[in-house]
Amino acid sequence: MTDSSTTKLEVDIAIATEGLTAEPKSFGKLARERFFKHKLAIAGFIGLVLIASIFVLGPWLSPWAFDEPNVLNRRAGPSRDHPFGTDTIGRDLFVRTTMGGRYSLTIGALVAVLATLIGTLLGSAAGFFGKWIDTVVSQLVNLVLVVPAIIVLSVVALRFGAQPVGIAVVLALLLWTRIARVVRGVVMQFREQEFVMAARAAGAGSGRILFRHILPNVFGAVIVEITLLIGLAIVLESTLSFLGVGVKPPTPTLGNLVFQAKGDINSDPIRVLLPGMFIVAIVLCVNFLGDGLRDAIDPRSRADEKE
Amino acid sequence: MFAYSIRRILTTIPLLLVALYLVYIGVSVTTDPLAEFRLCLPRCQEGYDRIVELYNLDQSVFVRPFGWAADAITGDFGTSNVAGQPVSTVLWERGINSAMIAIPAFLLAAVLALLLSVYSARRQYSAGDYVLTGLSFFGIAFPAFVLGLVLQVIFAIKLPEWTGWKLFYTGGKRTDNIGEIIGTVTLPVVTLATLFVAADSRFGRAAMLEVINSDFIRTARAKGLSERRVIWRHALRNALIPLVTLWALNFSALLGGSVITESVFSWPGLGQILIPALQRPDLDMVMGIVIFTAIITVVFNLLADLLYGVLDPRIRYD
Repeated sequence: MTDSSTTKLEVDIAIATEGLTAEPKSFGKLARERFFKHKLAIAGFIGLVLIASIFVLGPWLSPWAFDEPNVLNRRAGPSRDHPFGTDTIGRDLFVRTTMGGRYSLTIGALVAVLATLIGTLLGSAAGFFGKWIDTVVSQLVNLVLVVPAIIVLSVVALRFGAQPVGIAVVLALLLWTRIARVVRGVVMQFREQEFVMAARAAGAGSGRILFRHILPNVFGAVIVEITLLIGLAIVLESTLSFLGVGVKPPTPTLGNLVFQAKGDINSDPIRVLLPGMFIVAIVLCVNFLGDGLRDAIDPRSRADEKE
Repeated sequence: MFAYSIRRILTTIPLLLVALYLVYIGVSVTTDPLAEFRLCLPRCQEGYDRIVELYNLDQSVFVRPFGWAADAITGDFGTSNVAGQPVSTVLWERGINSAMIAIPAFLLAAVLALLLSVYSARRQYSAGDYVLTGLSFFGIAFPAFVLGLVLQVIFAIKLPEWTGWKLFYTGGKRTDNIGEIIGTVTLPVVTLATLFVAADSRFGRAAMLEVINSDFIRTARAKGLSERRVIWRHALRNALIPLVTLWALNFSALLGGSVITESVFSWPGLGQILIPALQRPDLDMVMGIVIFTAIITVVFNLLADLLYGVLDPRIRYD
């Protein structure tokens, strides 16, 4: 973050006179370098892209439809025609798993977007305006934390949640609290700094200060939370489906594929393990990515690199 | 400290009441206890009326929770129609079952997380540290039901097939035979413990590293204290504070019954009855579970806060 008044020439002079050997780097460049040095983060990113492309291409490449039963070929093991085998009524599991993956990823992304919107709006309002708004938002956060999530989820899911979008909305209404707390903290920290006072002195209104001057600083903290949120949402959605209160069949998600197969776990564990392992792989990649981003954006958070 | 505890408990009560009120209304609005009776109406008018009276269905939704609260204050939590017993009995019996997997899981997870974080922090960037960090990443990525099912397949199904030893069971509480109960409880305990160890040990490692690199540890070493004393007395005591917070959350979540693990292993705890109770709906049972878990959460969070003062005498409450 070089001061705009420092010209290239001045920087060169500074380098020459101070005996420095490297050019100063911008925050973005440093962050990118740290991210790319983080091998796990790269692995996570590549893994996610791979998994996503399997999910996108899978149903396309396969000749089967995800909801087309074939009673003559039920509970078949993996074969050339059906790479993942077939389920209890003879539907192709490769197509169902990849379709399920599409739904799960979409729900994860949707939850992340919605929860981020709600969390950022409420969190920044609470942090910026303080007073009663802060009290209301903080109590709302506490309330969401006190009521066991699983109760809210299953109550609402039983009524409205048979559709993927419904589940996503419900999950977002539960998961915005973390983002709200993070944003509130960052906004409160920046609210008191000189550049905000300068903006106010220059005549900027509250809205402009909040959206143009403060919120861009929140971005770093939020992007880390978003990646972790995607993983959490996918796990929660699959958990709900596993308990039988999530997205209703025949629409497949990774969770309800596990749910449908668990009755046959004794004879046919592979049908449970395949979608289960996809969930594990997605969450693993997302967490690696989030970890890398956190190190890239906020190097201080890595306590272990202090020395 | 006593005054502080009382104040803490009192400030939580309004929040708890609002939460209970919302849960009651939420469950009432989204489910219909009369669904089965509507289909057979003229014939089963009697049963219909009984349900209407039981849940005060003739009143407005917004008033009904107060009827429940009036009974609850006198100690009458109603009768669970899923279990066919008074809610207090169900809470007691199932609570003990939940505790049978919660307490061993918690102890196992706490001890392991502690040892692993100390190990990882002391041998930072060693092969062992890398392996442990990798494993904890892996553990965090497992949803509870996937891990439970995987363990079930490997240890309760495949192991007897391969070796002929029937050591572990897929679940259910069949007998009071202590050996069989241990065989049944082991897998859910390991499932829960693994998930918590994975999350806590990463956290503990970071906390421990921060302490180990601080000045007073160097001072402790410089004045010639044994390494064991430096680590276990000086460093650990400070690193414990963030871990205690996590443990309070873990333990209250576990005691309230872990919905997923208990249903994977068909273990008759509190968590396992929650979903049927919500679907039915068994309002008295749901409210009983919510109030039970909420009280446990509040108590253990308070205990954690008080424990900070023991670990670090500079922290005072007044």
